[in-house]
Amino acid sequence: MATRDFLRLVLRSLLSHRLRGGLTALGIGIGIAAVVMLTSLGSGVQKFMVEEFSQFGTTIIAINPGRTHTSGGPAGLFGSTRPLTLEDAEALKRVPHVIGVVPFVMGNAEVEAGTRQRRTAVHGVGSDFHTVFSMNIQIGQPLPDDSGSGARPVAVLGSTLRKELFPEGPVLGQRVRVASEAYRVVGVMESKGQMLGFDFDDGIYIPTARALSLFDKRGLMEIDLFYEEGASAKEVADAAERILVARHGQADFTVTSQEDMLKVLDGIMGVLTSAVAALGGISLFVGAVGILTIMTIAVRERQGEVGLLRALGASTQQVLLLFLAEAVVLSSLGGFAGLLVGIGGAWLVHWVFPIVPVNTPWAYVFAAELLSAVIGLACGVLPALRAAALDPVVALRAE
Amino acid sequence: MRTADSIGWVVRVLLRHRLRTLLLLLAVSVGVGAVIVLTSLGDSARRYVTDEFRSLGTELLIITPGKSETSGSGRPSFLGATARDLTLEDANALRRSSAIAAVVPMVVGEASMSHAGRIRQAPAVGATSGLLELRHWKLKQGKFLPKGDPERAPAVIVIGEKIRKDLFGTETAVGNFLRVGDRRFRVIGILATEGRSLGMDVDELVILPVARAMELFDISGLYRIMVEARSRDSLDRAAAESTAILRDRHQGEEDVTVIRQDAVVATFDRVLSALTYTVGGIASISLVVAGVLLMNVMLVSVSQRTAEIGLLKAIGSSRRLILTLFLLESGGLAFLGAVLGVFLGLAMNEVLGTYVPDVTLSPPLWSMIAAPTFAFLSGIIFGLMPARRAADLDPVDALAGR
Repeated sequence: MATRDFLRLVLRSLLSHRLRGGLTALGIGIGIAAVVMLTSLGSGVQKFMVEEFSQFGTTIIAINPGRTHTSGGPAGLFGSTRPLTLEDAEALKRVPHVIGVVPFVMGNAEVEAGTRQRRTAVHGVGSDFHTVFSMNIQIGQPLPDDSGSGARPVAVLGSTLRKELFPEGPVLGQRVRVASEAYRVVGVMESKGQMLGFDFDDGIYIPTARALSLFDKRGLMEIDLFYEEGASAKEVADAAERILVARHGQADFTVTSQEDMLKVLDGIMGVLTSAVAALGGISLFVGAVGILTIMTIAVRERQGEVGLLRALGASTQQVLLLFLAEAVVLSSLGGFAGLLVGIGGAWLVHWVFPIVPVNTPWAYVFAAELLSAVIGLACGVLPALRAAALDPVVALRAE
Repeated sequence: MRTADSIGWVVRVLLRHRLRTLLLLLAVSVGVGAVIVLTSLGDSARRYVTDEFRSLGTELLIITPGKSETSGSGRPSFLGATARDLTLEDANALRRSSAIAAVVPMVVGEASMSHAGRIRQAPAVGATSGLLELRHWKLKQGKFLPKGDPERAPAVIVIGEKIRKDLFGTETAVGNFLRVGDRRFRVIGILATEGRSLGMDVDELVILPVARAMELFDISGLYRIMVEARSRDSLDRAAAESTAILRDRHQGEEDVTVIRQDAVVATFDRVLSALTYTVGGIASISLVVAGVLLMNVMLVSVSQRTAEIGLLKAIGSSRRLILTLFLLESGGLAFLGAVLGVFLGLAMNEVLGTYVPDVTLSPPLWSMIAAPTFAFLSGIIFGLMPARRAADLDPVDALAGR
């Protein structure tokens, strides 16, 4: 049989049962649409989360006091373990490839300027903090590089806090009182927006040594290392660990690289996306049962035709291929339509609720289309085998 | 035709196409089963979480330092210190309120402890004697923290079972000494194993008097104060009075956050219910697909049995009867599939239940009713078009097989 004849035969048998074929394809289509739409939403959320977390840059290593092995209480909050100190942070500057080190402590206090006051987050940071967290200074300058405990009382304001405390007029050089200690404003940060409900603009940045005495704390909450692009996260983390172990005598701290964290996050979100896709897959399975049913019926109906083909010399292989092709075409068509509807639906959701992130990776699109074709193939095999195995004489007599 | 005849006719048709019938039943039952299993999972998770909270009593208030506007991050450690800490005196002052039955001040930290050369770290909770009853924990051995002025509590410690095993091994632990940080504590009790309780592994926990814990961690502020109201009705009053007392003590400034435990429970309840409905909804898409399949097969069935229908019409069957016969077929299939699906779902629950022994998987009532009903209705609705087509056939043409 020539390829052209073969195709014409398949096409004609599909066209002669338009409604039946359409409904079968619809079944697969709904399934594919559900899978595509759900994975689009899932992978959108995944991308969104990873981007949220990597907006501080990916070349960061965080060191927290305390060692977490049982994921019990909030580790490193307070503890009898040796605290991380400013001197530890100073020592970590020796680690090769490290560009910036930020000793970090944070609290909550009332900030006053003139007659206005606001309870807000107070971040104790080093002079490198804006480069480490990839934030920009809008006006003024960053905190000065005062080493040790002799830090001058200067502050950098977050953009929201600036609006609240100094709605108009100049801000640089003004005085603010943080928990009744006087500070001079040297800079204002550019707006960074919110991350997972935490507003980075509503806060004030003061030198770490000042913040430690303000909150009467011995230890830092975190030390952040910022290393050169291209350096190995593991090497830097190991070097930092060696230095701290030498200083503390034991590993009573936890080193987390941003890269590891992102990998874990990406992994978790990936699993969630697949789980959601599996939910949609239930519909796809039912659609597959539909193809199997309809192809079984078709084979039974067209016994006479099969008998005639065989009598005219068509091989069993050709008959097999004929029915397989029919199933594959049906499910691929349905899959393609479902694909369009699924992508459209996902973007419609995004359009109606703009906060819902949507992302349709091309790999998923191809995978979904391929999947529908494979389903057609798998469900077509049994009926097609049955058709091919028909005895031509018996089949012809059935006419 | 009598009802019995109609049913007999339908049954015979279904039996004649056994493979087709089985596949249709499979499609419908997979859909119904999926809805039931998924809603069971969602609803069981919801019940587990809310029960876990309720077992602590819904008369609880949680007071944390700092204003809610900054604690929105959901990470308590982000709060750090406030300008004004919550102190033990604050906690004691709360006892003045007549609406409050119990007050437990708490600090949480990580402590490294050692005994006879064995060292390990564990989360440590500083609390008072009321904690045991508040969290409904039990002791395996010994006593819990002593009652009395929390400021003057002795250096004693209650440890979890795993800590005991790791540090003491075969030695007797109760009465023995344990070094935590740079201090010595006498072990007075062992906690009974209860598994995890709201994210805290009781087996790997140590509990010490709150004042000693604050010295150990060198902090002046409490992590939180747990307050139990006298009854559910006095909860509002307890919350208002706690806020008022602490405001007075903090120079008229409201710098604490009071969270009602029942509000937390209600939030979890809402979120997990919404999740259950969503998951159930997604699974029921498969029921629509099953409906489309049913319609398709019924259409095929009508065209195959044209002559049969013509005969029925020729011997005087009404349009209505033909309609009924075909609807009976599609509706009956859907109904059977739905019943099978319910059993399939329940069986799946049993299988899954063996993996999570803590949670009993059972479907919510609404899904037990809604899933089969939805399946049955889709059988009728999708069966309507083919049935109409059969009923509208012209008897002469039909008999001729055209």
